[in-house]
Amino acid sequence: MSRALAAALLLAALPAPAAQTPAPPPAATTAPATPALERLAQAVATDVRAMKPEAPVALHLSGATPELRRAFGTLLASRLASAGLAPFVLEMLEAPSPEAAETLAREQGARALVRLSLSVEAGELRARGDAFGTWVNFWSGRTAPRAPSPAAAIAQAVEADAAALALAAVEPPRTPTPAPEEPRPLRLLGAVLARLPSPPAALAAGDLDGDGKDEVAVLTAHAVHVFTAEGSLLAERSLDMLPPGPAPTREPFGALAVLSGPPRLAAWSTRFAHGEVLTLENGALRGVSRIEAVPLGPDARGSFVPGQTAFAPEVRLGTGEQRLAVTSRITTFSAANSRVLLVHPDGSASFFSQPSVAPVPLSGLGAGSALGDLDGDGTPELLTTSPELQPSPDALRVFKTNGSEPTAHEPLWQGSLPSGRALSVVTANLDGDKRREVVVGLTKPDGTGELFLLRQGAP
Amino acid sequence: MTLRHALASLLLLGATPSLGAGRIPYGGELRVAHTGPAEPGEPALADSPLEATLLGLLSRPACQLAPDGHASPALARELSRPAPQVVRLTLASPAQATALARAWIRLAGTEAPSPYRALLFPLRGEGRLLSPTGDTLELALGFPWPDMERALCHPALAPPRSVPAALGPFSAVGANTVEARLAWSQGRPYLDRVRLQATDERGLSRLWSNQEAQVALGVLADAGTPSGAALYATYLAWSPRRVPPDFRQAVESALEREDLTRLFVRGPAVPMPNLLPPALLPVSPGARPTPPPTAQAGRKVTLVYDAGNEDQRAVAERLQVRLHDRGYTVALEPLPRAELRARWARGEYELMLHSLLLPPVPGPALAVVLDAAGRKDLLGVELPRIGALPDAAARDTRARERALALAASVPLLPLYAQGLALRAAPEVGGLVFDAQGLPMLDGAWLQPAVTGVPGARR
Repeated sequence: MSRALAAALLLAALPAPAAQTPAPPPAATTAPATPALERLAQAVATDVRAMKPEAPVALHLSGATPELRRAFGTLLASRLASAGLAPFVLEMLEAPSPEAAETLAREQGARALVRLSLSVEAGELRARGDAFGTWVNFWSGRTAPRAPSPAAAIAQAVEADAAALALAAVEPPRTPTPAPEEPRPLRLLGAVLARLPSPPAALAAGDLDGDGKDEVAVLTAHAVHVFTAEGSLLAERSLDMLPPGPAPTREPFGALAVLSGPPRLAAWSTRFAHGEVLTLENGALRGVSRIEAVPLGPDARGSFVPGQTAFAPEVRLGTGEQRLAVTSRITTFSAANSRVLLVHPDGSASFFSQPSVAPVPLSGLGAGSALGDLDGDGTPELLTTSPELQPSPDALRVFKTNGSEPTAHEPLWQGSLPSGRALSVVTANLDGDKRREVVVGLTKPDGTGELFLLRQGAP
Repeated sequence: MTLRHALASLLLLGATPSLGAGRIPYGGELRVAHTGPAEPGEPALADSPLEATLLGLLSRPACQLAPDGHASPALARELSRPAPQVVRLTLASPAQATALARAWIRLAGTEAPSPYRALLFPLRGEGRLLSPTGDTLELALGFPWPDMERALCHPALAPPRSVPAALGPFSAVGANTVEARLAWSQGRPYLDRVRLQATDERGLSRLWSNQEAQVALGVLADAGTPSGAALYATYLAWSPRRVPPDFRQAVESALEREDLTRLFVRGPAVPMPNLLPPALLPVSPGARPTPPPTAQAGRKVTLVYDAGNEDQRAVAERLQVRLHDRGYTVALEPLPRAELRARWARGEYELMLHSLLLPPVPGPALAVVLDAAGRKDLLGVELPRIGALPDAAARDTRARERALALAASVPLLPLYAQGLALRAAPEVGGLVFDAQGLPMLDGAWLQPAVTGVPGARR
């Protein structure tokens, strides 16, 4: 099966975003209050209690990663224990399949068995399976017939969060292999990282507090927000004290970059006349100085096209001596490992493998485009959203950049995004490993915003 | 939509690459044909949905109500409540603050009286004592009125376009062309310019079918034609001292609101049996009153109506016929709208047709209706009771209840409510109606690289 066909099947298997249960937007910029695992454990425990099983209850969990299974098993067992059901968890080594679990549960004296498969799909943490009584009448002989009750099917899903995604993405320890191993296929799992009261205008990522992990910074029309890798709001600052800009844009638009040296944020929304450099001190963002050039990246400066959601077609790199000039306006700038990507408003792009060489023209890119090393091989991949004006749903595609024309080849991965327009994408190192995670900024149909996190799933 | 139209639309969509990297494209000229005047008048008189739309291109009120009803700043940079009884407007310049204050003082005073002055009634001094400080206009309320901000978004409260400080998303660059204003506080419109063409109904139809217009404003309502909320309400007002006491009963028994909207009023219209339009007060079936026992012949009354409103002319003629059966000889007198409003202010009329663009909030809408009915005295009684409720839904409910309770005691008979319908070519995107029922042309954009299909539209 080709990768494209596999991707198509994966896309087809994902539920349409419109069919997903919409969560009400919170008033503040925070992730859901109760962790996803706890919400799912509570929902499943409620289902199990409703079928009134007899104690003790055996739990068998499959799918996902061992870490996710263990964490969920712990929480579910805790809730069932609170209900007096004396649960115990069957180990995968002893019961490698759901079928084997039935025999093992009887051997260990369980009166009921709950068999669940866990997964993270389309931004949801899901548990699906069944629950039934395992008590067997002595006079049944050697066969073990099922009792008429209790018996129930279980299918629960909650919106995934960053913590669940981290557990679902834990890589199993690698065994040393002498032969060069084939690159691990890219498989991204997604979950909501944080909700925003207004749509994102720009994203940036960098280690602002020196803990070795990146924070995710978001510029909205009137404020800057900084989130931890787990999606908690670390700091926010209103920009409303800045003077209004002479040519604002109808949609939120601007530039945001994490500057090197002492980590600082440079932010400029088109709502205001100039930008501001901010530092993160004691959990608060403090203004340090004003900026007059638009911060496209840590070492890249540009300027706005007045009144439009675009940058002028010239980028100054480093100290300003090196300039990248293209023929048309730019809607997105991204740079990684000396490669530079400029996306133009018509969906075409200029890709520089080195700033000093001529750009490769690309086509079919979306405004949500970025360069970032997702597989840890030292070469950044090209990530891009749909080039269409109103895609439904929007999708993210990942291409290799070491070929002559990245988008001419089939993507390494592609998947649909939740409802909304994905106009900004950034990669971030949220867990300290070599592979970068992806954060997508979504403009939701209700006028709010959302950060959607995608990270490598376990193989 | 006909099958031909649907197929043509599909062809157009197929021919359109729709590539824009996900961001809305800028640029282009939008050709808009409409049945309104070439130059709309001052805001309090340019109050039909079509005229308010045209005026709103060049002059906006302090704020605008989004489609979801949320008020966002328009002419004002910021609206805030520094204290519960104070609304503060921060404008871009002292000149704008002065222009806005003058426009409101004029509306509330005796120079150009208008029923829209009721929107300013909750202000201390009813809006006649406004004095800006620099670029700030502080509005002290005479009583709690949480709907003040939303009331200030009414198009009639915009400064006249002739004032230099008046601003809208576009600026006039010629007799029929407006150009995107780069410095518009809510963001430059996506279009570079809009070319407006005033015409009549036949001309509108011709321009549309010849693809000479990409947007046709003021079209007749068809199935599937987008239209804004029906908040342009028309009433029959009378002077109680000049008509017999049983006049209400006579006219109510003679009136067929469904006939008016079906046969005599063009564009999207709905019968309006209550003081507030069905968009604000859902209609419940009511019994039709019986005619007065004896219809006395020979009663003569004069009905004045807006000479510039073709629908009013048709309705006035219909009322003339229907009231004749009830013993009334009705003389019709068309008047320019400004003269009509002046006669209303002086109380010099026997019967009058009154068309008002009501705000999409029941409380402020009721205020305008009561003032139009000549019952300004009721505002001081009714509005404080509505404004005392902190919950918006409770205020709306109270306003609806009061509208039902007061209906029989005001000399005003609701007839019908209209909205504005439009047609837009497939290449026009982002065209939505605001909560006031007006199309937001500043949010419209043109699909790039659209090739026309001959005969695509009908």
